[in-house]
Amino acid sequence: MKSGLRRALLLGRRRPRLSGAGSPTAIRGDGYEFVELREYVAGDDPRRIDWAATARAGALQTRVVLEDVALTLAAIVDHSESMRLGRRRALTIAAQEAIQTWYSAAETDDRCIRITGRGVYAPPGLRGPRSALVCSNVEGEEPFVLRDVLEAARCALPLGSALLVISDFFELTNDFNALLHRLPQRYDCTVLIARDPWFNDLPLRGFVTMQDAEKKAQCRVFVGAHERDRYLRAVREREGALRRRFENAGWRTGILREEDGEGSLLAAFGIPSTIA
Amino acid sequence: MIDFSRPIVLLAALALTALCFFAYRALNGRRATNVLAYTNIDFFVRATQPRSWPQIALVGAFTLAAALLWGALAGPHLTAALPAKDAIVIVCIDTSGSMSSTDVQPTRWDAARNATRAFIERLPSGTKVGVITFSSNANLIQAPTADRDAARAALDRVPAAGGATAIGDALTLASQELPASGHRAVVLMTDGVNNRGEDPLQAANALAARHVPIYTVGIGTNDSGMLIPGTAEPAQLDEDALRAIAQAAGGAYARVSDAEGLKTALAHLGSSTTFERRRIDASLPFALGGGVLLLATILTSLAAGRFP
Repeated sequence: MKSGLRRALLLGRRRPRLSGAGSPTAIRGDGYEFVELREYVAGDDPRRIDWAATARAGALQTRVVLEDVALTLAAIVDHSESMRLGRRRALTIAAQEAIQTWYSAAETDDRCIRITGRGVYAPPGLRGPRSALVCSNVEGEEPFVLRDVLEAARCALPLGSALLVISDFFELTNDFNALLHRLPQRYDCTVLIARDPWFNDLPLRGFVTMQDAEKKAQCRVFVGAHERDRYLRAVREREGALRRRFENAGWRTGILREEDGEGSLLAAFGIPSTIA
Repeated sequence: MIDFSRPIVLLAALALTALCFFAYRALNGRRATNVLAYTNIDFFVRATQPRSWPQIALVGAFTLAAALLWGALAGPHLTAALPAKDAIVIVCIDTSGSMSSTDVQPTRWDAARNATRAFIERLPSGTKVGVITFSSNANLIQAPTADRDAARAALDRVPAAGGATAIGDALTLASQELPASGHRAVVLMTDGVNNRGEDPLQAANALAARHVPIYTVGIGTNDSGMLIPGTAEPAQLDEDALRAIAQAAGGAYARVSDAEGLKTALAHLGSSTTFERRRIDASLPFALGGGVLLLATILTSLAAGRFP
């Protein structure tokens, strides 16, 4: 699972960019990780021919390797009040699970970076799993301003970094478009959109006094069958629109489900979750 | 029309209601458990487009229920015009010589009789009606009766027009025929000037003292230039006298110059003379209405999730 995520991230580094960036630049490392042998096909690099295997098999064999370079794993997690809500548990708990899974992909020479509302944090002198451990446990800082953290990522992360952003994206207005398109040109960007806790069923009936988790503004509303239907429709439309918007900008998208943060992240990479 | 026998209760209710409202607001503000935190209220409101009328309706119903209950304690009384029980109306028809004038078609006499017939038809059942005719003297041709057929038959016995006009005598006779109490009224139809018998104003005052209103109807025209048939006297109408009679006895005066107008005036009088304004204690309807509404509001509120 961990290796699957790492492999996906490595492949992600070679994903064709929407424009401009071309092939990724290796930051460091020059090793090759052997994956398998297969029969030579026209066009294979002759330097990858495994002569010993060829001798044994009696036909040309090509070494298939996974180009291995050190990763830079960066993550942004929305720790604002709105993410502290949930139906059975807070979305931040699921987000934390996703983050731990994300950093668990770090190996020996990989760098881990955490971007919070206070700025960019890279554990000094640490790499690999130790760096991942520190970054996994960085407390979310308030205030969380989505534009600020994305700008911080754009300015501070090295080219080719893998960036994960987890948020409910209520702040995401239309003027984010340029920034959303710019980030995938430099980084392998993944987004987990926090699913509304009431995505499947709005459990409210009658008069309800509600308070905005962040603005603290209150309003008293009547919730009947019509309101519930409209709400469920609107929540689905919003989630779909957000996904399309990120995908169009070149992001890998996934949905952060309250009940399974790890599975949510792996699903974004097409990796089956053990829990699921 | 509604009035309260204990209006001070309303003031106390107003103060108490205001107190309860502020206390409720204060308590409600402290109950944090009532408030549900949500990610983004703006999105929720945009998404659900919640209807505001249920809350308005509940608050309105609750307010109305409270007002009705407080109103019940304040002793509400309604004043309404209701059909009088056992009302008695005596119709006095002028049969003096001037009633044979034809300025009201076919004659004033015929018009008065026909209008009286229509008047009797429109009286509520149970209302007794009596008929007095008067010229040089007054005669009771039908004692007060609830029997409509008898009253209609009496109109056939109205004597032909002829003689002087003794309005005062007719009013006195009517006074004698009316009981001492109950809802009573006299309708006086005449076209002339009193020229015989008692002073009509004195007779009217006597009726007024017994709380019997007189509704006077002046038949005919003053400037038609017509003479009283068989005489050289012009047909005249002493409107001032008729108005004074009506005013003295707390009734009303109407003047008609045609048969249709006479019918209309008498039809109108039919409701005026047989309806009485009564003050009814409305505490029970107020209390019942308020109680039922309050119960319905509370049940609806509980079902809807909160008290308004």
